[in-house]
Amino acid sequence: MRLLRGIYEGPGSHGSLRVATGTKDVHAVLRGLPGEGYFPALFGALVRTGEPARVSLSPMVKASEGSRVPRNPGRDLEEVIRRHPDTAAVLFVRSDAALLSGEKVPDVTLPRSPRTAQEVKLVTCGWEEAGMGEHEAADLALESLVRAHAAAGEKSPRPTVNLFGPPVFSPGAEAEMEEAERLLSLIGVGVNARLPLGASVEDFSRLPRAWANILLYREVGDAATLYLQGEFGTPRVTTPMIGSAGTGAALRAVGELCEISAEEVQRVVWSELSRKAELPWYARLASPEAIRGRRVAIFGDFTYAVGLGYTIAKEVGLEVGPCGTYLKHLEQDFLFHAHTFTDEAFIADDPDEVAARLENSNPDIIIGTYLEEEVADSLGVPFLPLCPPIVRPRFVEQPLMGYAGSASLADFLDGALRRVGERWKRQERRLPWAGEALEDLERIPAHLRSKTRRLAEERARSLGSEEVSCKILEESRL
Amino acid sequence: MEYSGVFLAVLNESGVSDVLPPLCGLNSLAERLPRTLIALVGTRTEAFLAHFVPDSFSTSLPRPRGAHGSRVVTIVLEPGETPTQGNIAERLIEASAGFGGIDSVLLIAGSSAALIGVDPAFEAKIATRRLDLPVRAVTPDPGASAALSTDLEDRALATILDLCPHSRGSPVVIDPDSPPPAKRRGRLGGLLERGRSEVQDRTRRRRPVVLLGAAGSGTRAGLSEALTKAGVEVAGSVPGAGTKELPALGEGTVVAVADPYLASAARAAEKRGAKVVETLMPIGVDGTARFIQDVSAEAGQEASELLRVRSAWEDLGPLRNRIRGKRIFLAGDTGLEIPLARFLIDAGAVVLEVGAPRLERKLLKAEIRTLSAHVDVVESPDPKGQMGRIAATRPDIVVASPGLYTPLVARGHLCRSSLDFLGAGIHGYEGARRILELFISTFERAEALDSVRL
Repeated sequence: MRLLRGIYEGPGSHGSLRVATGTKDVHAVLRGLPGEGYFPALFGALVRTGEPARVSLSPMVKASEGSRVPRNPGRDLEEVIRRHPDTAAVLFVRSDAALLSGEKVPDVTLPRSPRTAQEVKLVTCGWEEAGMGEHEAADLALESLVRAHAAAGEKSPRPTVNLFGPPVFSPGAEAEMEEAERLLSLIGVGVNARLPLGASVEDFSRLPRAWANILLYREVGDAATLYLQGEFGTPRVTTPMIGSAGTGAALRAVGELCEISAEEVQRVVWSELSRKAELPWYARLASPEAIRGRRVAIFGDFTYAVGLGYTIAKEVGLEVGPCGTYLKHLEQDFLFHAHTFTDEAFIADDPDEVAARLENSNPDIIIGTYLEEEVADSLGVPFLPLCPPIVRPRFVEQPLMGYAGSASLADFLDGALRRVGERWKRQERRLPWAGEALEDLERIPAHLRSKTRRLAEERARSLGSEEVSCKILEESRL
Repeated sequence: MEYSGVFLAVLNESGVSDVLPPLCGLNSLAERLPRTLIALVGTRTEAFLAHFVPDSFSTSLPRPRGAHGSRVVTIVLEPGETPTQGNIAERLIEASAGFGGIDSVLLIAGSSAALIGVDPAFEAKIATRRLDLPVRAVTPDPGASAALSTDLEDRALATILDLCPHSRGSPVVIDPDSPPPAKRRGRLGGLLERGRSEVQDRTRRRRPVVLLGAAGSGTRAGLSEALTKAGVEVAGSVPGAGTKELPALGEGTVVAVADPYLASAARAAEKRGAKVVETLMPIGVDGTARFIQDVSAEAGQEASELLRVRSAWEDLGPLRNRIRGKRIFLAGDTGLEIPLARFLIDAGAVVLEVGAPRLERKLLKAEIRTLSAHVDVVESPDPKGQMGRIAATRPDIVVASPGLYTPLVARGHLCRSSLDFLGAGIHGYEGARRILELFISTFERAEALDSVRL
């Protein structure tokens, strides 16, 4: 039991729904309480396709007399096939409440599709357990769909790869895939399937035709690509395609697996570096004084936190202080990668603990999730919301991956570093605190402490006091 | 359902309606209860619903950020770990140290808390003793088969009523000198007389009135002022400015419910012995007038709103001209839909369908009686069916629940989010203007955008 001011990851069911609803013809059935049926509303708010989410709630309530609300998950599943005749597969997902109530995976055979007369596969998630995080469940749900449908077949005659990208609701997910596909086409590699976003059951079945799997977002896709490697011998590329160095390394690895000459790949890399990637230019053009001694704190998922940390430290030369993730199940891998650019790598999923680490490191810029915005605000430092989860993504999607992403990153950093300069000009002298006032301050939640300190000092200044007393602190909190 | 010899059809579609989960309203609740710390106890799912999901609807549900952040904390339970009794109380005490100026704590227990073995009422009791502040547990209704997005506010207010001091029962005051009210004539007079026959023979007993709801906007003060003007003693409102300002409640108190979704709160007031007035909601011109008259009558004071109604409709003339004949489809999830439909019809609009995820029949009795028999009311509407009917009828505007909003806009329908009406201040005569303005601003914006040659 923990006291938290926010949460980084949704429940496991949310992760599974993100995978299923991003596909073209997989319908998800969520078994849960009526109050847990938020997904269609969230989908409607965040996805502007105009299509309702392909998800149905199987409510855990007793149906009233004469009601058409099915009484059990088996009837709900049949109802889905009847009402959504274009469904090619159904993913059955249980909410935390359903799992805690002991709801079992239904043992039913789905009727054939009324439209195509084809068999509709029911994919169940026997691995679900209450308390599982969103990303781990999304990874396993994607693997379950791949296992259920991937069929052995001949490799494609020309080199192709499968792109495993972020699921629905990830900021810029579609743009990341498009940038990766653009770069692959430049080196002469086609895309066999993109998943989970936009994939069809047909795509799942022909995954083994690809020459390699590219893992753009390892949080969701790790288990599926390991399965394809073990079962069909398809190799995988796991280098995060973030920054010019990461993108170049990923393209060289793909080139090698797809038997493209190293010279050809290098020619594309140089061409892109000169035309598209702005970050190396920015790093060379910015004055050393604008960069030197500036500390960046990063917190987020795995891919973006590690990818951005490495790029900012190695390609730009900014000092990366604390760099952390909330994905505890990826702890070992995260620490291994993050230690290549910082000594302050950490794992935490309590926003207050994260806030305390960031605050203590005295950063000039914070890159984080929606929960770090408040910390940056209270410290008065520029904030870049580049790590999921982000609740208000940019209206127009922009990639952060590939060379186009490297250009976006140059723009973000330039804006933030300019604001750092302004902040230094404005910075006021800190006031001393009375001992008891300091003790009271320590009792305030970490994420609010910095702002409380600032408000109390402002009040002390307005009163002409040379010190912050308990009374001033209390007054400033009303 | 019969009204004036004509049957009003309420179709129950038995669908799983598109409703934003009540827990999404946690931050809005904190905003409406200015000195209360809101603590949620539940699993990751409930924390996610309370913190992450609402922020995604940024235009409709602003996240309140006071000088010290939101007064909302979450106690996240790990499945498989049965908390020791008193642990949650300890966490509450720890959390409340971080917030200055709070005078009460609401412990909102998610559905999973009970499954894990938490007894929120017991924890609240311990915390009350140790904090020296009233701490109350709010539990969701486990039997509810259909939710409204406003259910959390309803349950929270039902709990807060428990903090109101007990009234001793006001002495009955007979006012034999007051003249009987004059019989009204004409269309408006007739309308305002509806449902009032039962109060004609009532002795005029002066009883204090407690206003329940109409929080989150400036309109509560307007309602209170209108009642005071009518000669009614308004003892206070729930929610109020703080726990210490809560009015006395009990036998002899009249409770005026201002929001149609406050069914649990109304039942809690009745349990305390208070009289809940059955009347129209103070939404729209005639609704407000009936509300003031019926509440005044129950409080022992005859009031006539006839002149006010006339002038209100006259003031709204230009806005009515803009809305007259517009075809409106209500597919919201807040519970406000029935009174809104009634007012829109009065204003001259054509309401094609009113979708209500749950119909609180007792609280809405007067509303349903007054609603035109030509309106289709669909209880528990199925979202797919709603979309089909919207496509078939092509309304001028749809009041849409969050899940329908973007898909409908993408299909070329003009929409207004149902959540926009929650914090807009739609009560009272001034609120009537705001309701019409919400629609008209949407029409005007659409017209301006349509005039651009792309």
